[in-house]
Amino acid sequence: MLRLTDLRKTFGRVVAVDGLSFEVGRGEILGLLGPNGAGKTTTVNLAIGLLEPDSGSVELDGGGRPSDLATRRRMGIAPQTLALYEDMAGEANLRFFARMYGLSGNRLAERVAEVLDMVGLTERRGDRVSTYSGGMKRRLNLAAALVHDPDLLLLDEPTVGVDPQSRSAILDRIRDLARLGKTAVYCTHYMEEAQRICDRVAILDRGRLLALDAVDNLIAAHGGKSVVHAVFADRELRVDTDEPLAELRRLESEGDLIRFSLDRPDLESVFLALTGRHLRD
Amino acid sequence: MKTIWFIAVKDIRLLLLDKAAAFFAICWPVMIAVLFGIIFSGGGSESWSMHVAVVDEDQTPGSRAFIQDLAESEELTVTETGRAEATENVRRGKWTAYLVLPPGFGETRENPFRGGGAQMEIGIDPSRKAEAGMLQGVLMKHMFSSFEDLWTDPDRMSSQMAKARQQVEQAGDMDPVAQALLAQFLNAAEQLYAEMPEGGAFDMAEWQPFDVETTDVVRQQEGPRSSFEVTFPQGLAWGFICCAAMFGISLVGERMKGTLRRLQAAPLSRAHILGGKALACFLTMCLVSALILGIGIVAFGIRADSYLVLVLAVVSTAVCFVGVMMGVSVLGRTEQSANAFAWPIFMIMAMTGGGMLPLAMMPGWLRAASTFSPLKWGVLALEGAIWRGFSVQEALLPCAILVGVGILCFGVGVRLFRWEQQG
Repeated sequence: MLRLTDLRKTFGRVVAVDGLSFEVGRGEILGLLGPNGAGKTTTVNLAIGLLEPDSGSVELDGGGRPSDLATRRRMGIAPQTLALYEDMAGEANLRFFARMYGLSGNRLAERVAEVLDMVGLTERRGDRVSTYSGGMKRRLNLAAALVHDPDLLLLDEPTVGVDPQSRSAILDRIRDLARLGKTAVYCTHYMEEAQRICDRVAILDRGRLLALDAVDNLIAAHGGKSVVHAVFADRELRVDTDEPLAELRRLESEGDLIRFSLDRPDLESVFLALTGRHLRD
Repeated sequence: MKTIWFIAVKDIRLLLLDKAAAFFAICWPVMIAVLFGIIFSGGGSESWSMHVAVVDEDQTPGSRAFIQDLAESEELTVTETGRAEATENVRRGKWTAYLVLPPGFGETRENPFRGGGAQMEIGIDPSRKAEAGMLQGVLMKHMFSSFEDLWTDPDRMSSQMAKARQQVEQAGDMDPVAQALLAQFLNAAEQLYAEMPEGGAFDMAEWQPFDVETTDVVRQQEGPRSSFEVTFPQGLAWGFICCAAMFGISLVGERMKGTLRRLQAAPLSRAHILGGKALACFLTMCLVSALILGIGIVAFGIRADSYLVLVLAVVSTAVCFVGVMMGVSVLGRTEQSANAFAWPIFMIMAMTGGGMLPLAMMPGWLRAASTFSPLKWGVLALEGAIWRGFSVQEALLPCAILVGVGILCFGVGVRLFRWEQQG
């Protein structure tokens, strides 16, 4: 669906994206995971044609370039900064953005109603956006990306500043869209989100792609071992293991096990292993 | 083209939803036009009269009667006061002039045969030559009116004749021949008035030094029919300024808020986006102009000499200020900085271009400087349509300048516009 080949983009002396290549298949959610400044937003802007790469290429479905207006019509973006007209009603915003993508008449009305329902804003559709909560604005921002029914979604930190309930609702909607065959590139610095909804995750740091694979594979390859912490009546044990269940059974058989905890490796462990830094550093 | 239209509709909608913006685009220009119109019209339908202070140092029945005459005249508004206060108020410009009636004024006025005219003192700013001349004329008229009263009253005239004959007889230093001739003349005149039937049979009251017949002639139109025809083009000018400022700054605001980026991500070219903004600005200016002119026509009796030229002027000025709008959008990186840069420029443009002081009232040097203000050409074109009587050919020069400036500013603005928010 989307192919980025050896993309490079610099701003003055700063290399924002450095030789980035990956492909995203139809119906797949690809996570771009990295700390602030990793190059996620620049990658999204290159993918949608808002920035021209210094070198490399972006192709949609094996040929379409994002600078072509017809190709852009098949893409939807939810930018990190809320891009809404606050003095207009939520529905009026969606109608306007739908028109920008060529929708009109019944099709426009249907799509606006659908996405309002999808993001749970039908009841507030006539209210000014300035009266919405932060979470509602985020959901409307996502709805504006979806209103023209794009094949490819570029979602740049769509849950920043959102309450847990709204965040969960947004992630569920994105997962639903993938089931309907939509492709998504999901930028985040929250590893929990990437683990929850992404089929594959690309780990970026300082503009470079460090690893790209399914979450389990990344963890298996770079996350290290699970750690079992066992407390006995007379001692405590910390055991690194690839088979935590088997290890627990073994420890239990030794008798007097009072309690235990298990630390499984996650994407944070993967990032730490790859960069020597934490995601939020 | 449809997307340009939708962007324009969105921008006009946003303007109307923003109460402050709508006020400055619509209400403010109307207020300027109406308030300045009332000020320049002198406060409505009151007739003009010269405000004169009178200092009566004579305090005789003659001086009192003269002041009464002046107070009843239509040309003057008379205030009796002391010399110090009169001088101070004339110096401050509160009153036009002061008039001092010195001791002996009443006696001289009552006795014209006494020799020498009645003395008066006028105090007036030397730069007000026309008003000084007018005041002298009004005083002469009232002095002649006193003579007229005297000559048509046989009893007063006989009494004055007797006093004059007595003075001639007692004048020891007078040439005897002249003394005899004067006495003879006064005797004859006294005899004439003694024989005059009651009611003035000689019809002296009807006598005038010359006879003036006044015919009403409608003057050829060479100026505005009312002050509102001057101030409504000013109001329109402010409408153009406010619209250009608001749409220019809103373009910066769209960049800051990220909606410009979202529009760029849509299947639109940059020409679509700027075209939509320009169309919104142009349509709003035309609508605001139509509204202001409608109010002027319905409520203040404004009439255009040529409605074709008026449409041409409005459209050309709108084109010019759409370009200015684009120029405003490159003045700052933020809405605040664009605002801070734009308004001083607009204020200078308004001061030199006829937005504050009507072009017709400008001193020569300011009128010369105004050549460089696009607003001047807009106001000139609008005045040309409303009261200067411009033909289409005459309107072409200012309109061409306006369109040229608009295209230049728009081009420069597009070239310098920053699509990405930096810093």
